[in-house]
Amino acid sequence: MYMLNSLIMIIPTLMGLFMHSYFCHGRLTVIKKTGLFFLYGIMVSLTMYGIAWTRGIKGDGIAHMTLSHKIEFTILGCVMSFCMALGMCLCIERDITFEKLRMYLIRFAGDTRKYYKYAIKSAKADLRSEVANAYLDWLWWLIEPFCMMLIYTLIFGVVFHASEEYFPIFIFSGLSMWTFFSRGMNVSVNIVRNNKGIISKVYLPKFILYFARMLVNGFKMLVSFVVVVGMLIVFRVPVTWRILYVIPVMIVFFLFTFGLGSILMHFGVYVNDLSYIVGIILSMLMYFTGTFYAVGKRIPAPFGELLEQFNPVAYCIASMRNAALYSTSPQLDLLVMWGLVSVVLSAVGVYTIYRNENAYVKVI
Amino acid sequence: MEQREIAIEAKNVCINYRIMKNVTVRHNLFKKRSHEETFEAVKNVSFTVEKGGILGVIGKNGSGKSTLLRAIAGVFSPNSGSIDLKGHTVSLMALGVGFKENLTGRDNIALSGMLLGFGENQIRDKMQEIVDFAEIGEFIDRPVRTYSSGMHSKLAFAITAMLETDIMLVDEVLSVGDERFKKKSLSKMKELITDKNRTVIIVSHNIDTLKSLCDEVMWIHDGELREMGKPEEVLTHYVEFMK
Repeated sequence: MYMLNSLIMIIPTLMGLFMHSYFCHGRLTVIKKTGLFFLYGIMVSLTMYGIAWTRGIKGDGIAHMTLSHKIEFTILGCVMSFCMALGMCLCIERDITFEKLRMYLIRFAGDTRKYYKYAIKSAKADLRSEVANAYLDWLWWLIEPFCMMLIYTLIFGVVFHASEEYFPIFIFSGLSMWTFFSRGMNVSVNIVRNNKGIISKVYLPKFILYFARMLVNGFKMLVSFVVVVGMLIVFRVPVTWRILYVIPVMIVFFLFTFGLGSILMHFGVYVNDLSYIVGIILSMLMYFTGTFYAVGKRIPAPFGELLEQFNPVAYCIASMRNAALYSTSPQLDLLVMWGLVSVVLSAVGVYTIYRNENAYVKVI
Repeated sequence: MEQREIAIEAKNVCINYRIMKNVTVRHNLFKKRSHEETFEAVKNVSFTVEKGGILGVIGKNGSGKSTLLRAIAGVFSPNSGSIDLKGHTVSLMALGVGFKENLTGRDNIALSGMLLGFGENQIRDKMQEIVDFAEIGEFIDRPVRTYSSGMHSKLAFAITAMLETDIMLVDEVLSVGDERFKKKSLSKMKELITDKNRTVIIVSHNIDTLKSLCDEVMWIHDGELREMGKPEEVLTHYVEFMK
C-alpha cells in the first residue's frame, strides 16, 4: 500500500525528468539525471502537498484518499511536472532559452502567414481529387459515416440494448469526431515519408503538410456535422443556447489533434514501424473513448468518470454530446485545462519539428 | 573587372549527414544506442556567384554536388557556415520531381508555384503557358499517377522553366523527353540560362555543355572545393584527373 501511495509522487517526477531529457535531446549524464530526479521529486512533492493543503487535506491525508482522487492527483502532478520541466530547461539549459523560444514563435507566425494559403489550396485539391474518380463523388463523405452509424446503432442499440437517449445521433456525432482524430494520427505517422517528393525539392515547414491534411479531415467532419444538425431537427431534440459550447470544445479538440499529430509526425520519420503501434493504440483508445457508449456511465464507478475526464478525446466527445444533445454545460475548468495542455502540446510539436526538420530529408 | 552585385554568397558551408539508419521500435527498446556516425558531404566550401553569372559544378559521383544544390535551394540548411541569397527567389530543377500523385497536373502546377513563392494571380497568368509548353494534352486534368515518366518530366520541366525565379539551380537536367521536346527544352534552357538577370548554377557531367555555357566552373572533390576558375582550366584539370 505504501508503495502504491508513493507512486503518486514518483510518476510525475519521472514525467518531469523525461520531459527534461526530451527538451535536451537526451544529452544528460547519469549524475545529472540522478540530481534532477531528486530535484523534481522534491519540487513535485512540495507542490502536491501545497495543493492538497489548499484543498483541506492535511498531514498524511493524501495516503487516505479514495482511489479516484489519487489518480486525479497523479495526473495533476504530471501536468505540473511538465510545466516545471519546461521552466527548468528555460532557466538552466543552454539549448532552450527564452530568446530562442521567442525566435521560434516569430518564425511560426511568419510561416503560418506565408503558407496557410498553400495548406488551404492543397486541402482543396486533395478533396477534389478524392471525389473526381469516385462514382458517387462527395456523397461518400455522407454515406460512409451514415452506414457506420447504422451498423453501430443496430449492434449496440438493438443487440446490446444501449439506453442512451437519441442513440443514432449519439453514435453519429461521436463517430465523426473519432474518425477525425484517428485519421489524423494515422496520417501523421507517415506524412513526411509520403511527401518525400515535395520536401526534397523545396523548403516548407513540415507541420504545414499535416495541417493541410487536418483541413481535409476537418472538412469531412464538418459535412457529417451538417447531417448531425439535420438529425437534431428530425429527432426533435430540444436545443438550447448551450449548444454554443460545441465551438470551444471543437477548438480544443482540433488543437489537441494538431499537437499530438505533430509530435507523432516527428517520430514517424525515424521509427519505421511506428504506424503499427499507433494502429494498436488507436483501436484500444477507441473503446476507451466511448464512441458508441457513454464512458462515464458504463464503466464502473471511479474509472469511468476518470476516463472521461482524463482522456481528452473522450472528454471532447462527451462534452460535445452533452452540449448538443442533452443541453448541459461541459466542466469548464477541465475545458480550460485541456485547452492549455493542447496549446502546450502543439508548441512542443512545432518546436520539435523546427528543431529536426533539417534532418528529415536526409533520413527518408 | 567591374564590381557586380552578388547573388549567392556561401561561406564555409559544411553539411553533415548523420548516418542514422531508420530504426524500428525493436531496435530502440532492445539495443543500446549505437554510435552515430557523421558523414561530411560538403566540407568548408566558400564561393560567391555574381548576379547573372553562370556557375558550373563538376565532380565525380557522390562528391556532394547535389547536396550543395539542395542546401542552396533551402531544402535543408547547412550544419555550419551560411548561404546568403540576398533575398532572391530560388528554384531547384532536378530529375524526379515533387508531385502529389493523386492530384491533377493543373493542381500540381498551382501547388508547386505556391511553394516557389508565387502568388495565386501570377500562377493563373502563367498556367496556360506552362500547359502549352508541357505538351501533355488532356492529361493535364488527370491525376499525375497516370502519367508516363516522359510526361512526368516534361511537366516538371515546364513548371520550373516557366515560373522564372531569380536563381535557378539545375541538377543534371538540361533537356528531357523525346527528340523534339529535347530540342525545345534545350533551347528554352539556354534562353533561361543566358538571361542577364538570372543567376544559374548547373551541376553536370557533360564537359562540353559546361564549357559552352558557364562563366566559371567549380570542381568539388569529396566534399571539398578543389578548384574554381575559368572553365577551360578547371575542366582540363578535371579531365586529366579522371583519366
